[in-house]
Amino acid sequence: MKNLDLGTLSDTGQNGYIINPDDTILVTGANGFIGSRVVRTLLLYGFKRVRCLTRPTSNSKKLEDIAKEFGRENIEIVRGNLLSRDACMIAAEGVSVVYHLAAGIDKTYPGCFLNSVVTTRNLIDAVIKEQTLKRFVNISSIAVYSNEKIQRGGLMDESCEVDTKLLERYEPYTYGKAKQDELVLEYAQKKDLPYVIVRPSVVFGPGKAKITDRIGTDTFGVFLHLGLNNRVPFTYVDNCAEAIVLAGLRKGIEGQVFNVFDDDLPKSREFLRLYKRKVHSFFSIPVPYPAWFFFCYFWEKYSKWSEGQLPPVFNRRACAVYWKGNKYPNNKAKELLGWYPRIRMNEGLKRFFAYMREVKGQKND
Amino acid sequence: MIKVGIIGCGKMADNHAVPIQRIPGTEIVGVCDREALMARDMSERFQIKNYFTDAKDMLEAIKLDVVHITTPPQSHFELGKICLEAGCNVYIEKPFTLNTAEAVELIRLANQNKLKITAGHNAQFTHAMVRMRELVKKGYLGGKPVHMESIYCYDFGDVSYAKALLCDKEHWVRKLPGSLLQNIISHGISKIAEFLSGDNPTVIAHGFTTPFLKSIGQNDIIDEVRVIILDEDSTTAYFTFSSQISPSPHQFRLYGPKQSLIVDDDHQILIKIDNKEYKSYLRYFLPPFEYAKQYVENFGGNFMKFIRKDFHLPNDAALKTLIESFYNSIVNNAPLPLSYREILLTSKIMDAIFIQINEAQP
Repeated sequence: MKNLDLGTLSDTGQNGYIINPDDTILVTGANGFIGSRVVRTLLLYGFKRVRCLTRPTSNSKKLEDIAKEFGRENIEIVRGNLLSRDACMIAAEGVSVVYHLAAGIDKTYPGCFLNSVVTTRNLIDAVIKEQTLKRFVNISSIAVYSNEKIQRGGLMDESCEVDTKLLERYEPYTYGKAKQDELVLEYAQKKDLPYVIVRPSVVFGPGKAKITDRIGTDTFGVFLHLGLNNRVPFTYVDNCAEAIVLAGLRKGIEGQVFNVFDDDLPKSREFLRLYKRKVHSFFSIPVPYPAWFFFCYFWEKYSKWSEGQLPPVFNRRACAVYWKGNKYPNNKAKELLGWYPRIRMNEGLKRFFAYMREVKGQKND
Repeated sequence: MIKVGIIGCGKMADNHAVPIQRIPGTEIVGVCDREALMARDMSERFQIKNYFTDAKDMLEAIKLDVVHITTPPQSHFELGKICLEAGCNVYIEKPFTLNTAEAVELIRLANQNKLKITAGHNAQFTHAMVRMRELVKKGYLGGKPVHMESIYCYDFGDVSYAKALLCDKEHWVRKLPGSLLQNIISHGISKIAEFLSGDNPTVIAHGFTTPFLKSIGQNDIIDEVRVIILDEDSTTAYFTFSSQISPSPHQFRLYGPKQSLIVDDDHQILIKIDNKEYKSYLRYFLPPFEYAKQYVENFGGNFMKFIRKDFHLPNDAALKTLIESFYNSIVNNAPLPLSYREILLTSKIMDAIFIQINEAQP
């Protein structure tokens, strides 16, 4: 077995898994930031039939590289659009486990809904028809939770309520994800879809050159540091991918929801200090949570008064979710999935900063 | 109360629903999409009582005054027809129809049923375009335009739209007779059509695929077009569509026999080219101040509109103005915001452009 980022995979014996190495696994969004890592992890685990669904015109270099590394015979690249039922039928043929990572990233509600919910419906219909499915792993997001009833510093875990007023948050992506979860639950109830929902937190690592909004925003031309002393709910991309993989394999976890957070979450302040030291220095203004909350309150009021002349992009619900500050336990994933974050936070941050330096260097060139 | 229905619950439908709900005395009472999930979602988000998956079912179930058709253009004609036959006034998103023959038939049907129909040429109603039209009506140009220049560009960097098109070889835009051009250029062409005489202008068009698109294997999309138009009274016009000019300009220049006007739609600026005589070197020193004054006035006008919550994003504001004017023409029998002649002329010019470009393709 290859021994790469995942270290020694001591727990990759098939005991406790619902499928065998020869069973067919489908990964949608397989060419994406997390999807490509999921494919790689599955191959590291020894699975031999990993079907990767990518968009018809997407550049599949990442997958081609993985195929070279692990052998072309273990990986099948299928091009198709999940909006096409025919493409879904082709992708779903004979699959035992589906990792559904494809997501609708769009600025509009219809765009996100179409590419998250309608696509998921098409895919589920196709896999149900096939009658070979053992588990559908639906990838959601921790952004779907509401922390309205959780105090600052309170626990945000799998038992928290999903936000029922997502329209007030003005986040089409999160709205699409929540509706996608609803659809999966509906199919589970009506058609016995065997499912697990995974809600990754802020996934970071080489391949995604962005400082998360949970640290702050530069919308107004200067970086406003909003996270301050909050713990940032990070998960390193390889750790996240392994949690997702295990959610599709472990026995006895049907119908469970797993949030994915790493250990040793850094404070926003610590992350920013390290980033400035290791990548590049820039000016930032610390903004206390109450001040930002009031700003969001006034923005929201103005938006309503002006009938949307300024859309309510800054609003209290989103403000609370991202910057109120909560604790993020990962006990459930550790206990039921047997998962632990193999890449420690320090190592993950080191790799991320190295990648960001490279990206910044390229930009400067 | 004007009862409104919307057919097609994609992105454009949201763009319509928002301004419709801002217009007093109107209510969206039904939405329809062949995809039930999309129709249901829209009805929930906008708190609309009814949703349907078949347009005929909606037209039978609810008495609608106006139907907005926001589906891909391939279905505009059929849907427009059944709405008119059901006794509804119709707003059809751009491009109005696939070709002029369909446009003629829909307008004939509207007239026959004593109903009204309009096209989604909302770029005609931005703040700056409305101000321009007022000046033209007051005779600012000093007569019929001598020449016009309309430049309407497109940015492939706009991820939300371009990615959907470029990543999907089966995208409906590619299947239009004029492909990408047909979905976009009506905005720029209609500005010209408004001021042309006669029904059969001469059109000379040249189009090509840019090296950028070729480099990413998109050889089937024409993304640069230059057009010369000449009407029966010898008014001329140039139309430019480009995906490579950056930043993408959306401008309209109207040259009259005495004075001229420039509309910069990207910044909602209207500049008057006054016919003033200056002595000697003063022509190089005074006009810059006068132009600066005009820019400051444009800033003031835009800012005051913003303060009065009447600015909004120009295209959204324009859409509301067009919809409101259309409803007003229905309720008060006022003139249509877009004349049928302008809609047909726009369609004719577009047909001529696509024929010439397609014929020139190897």
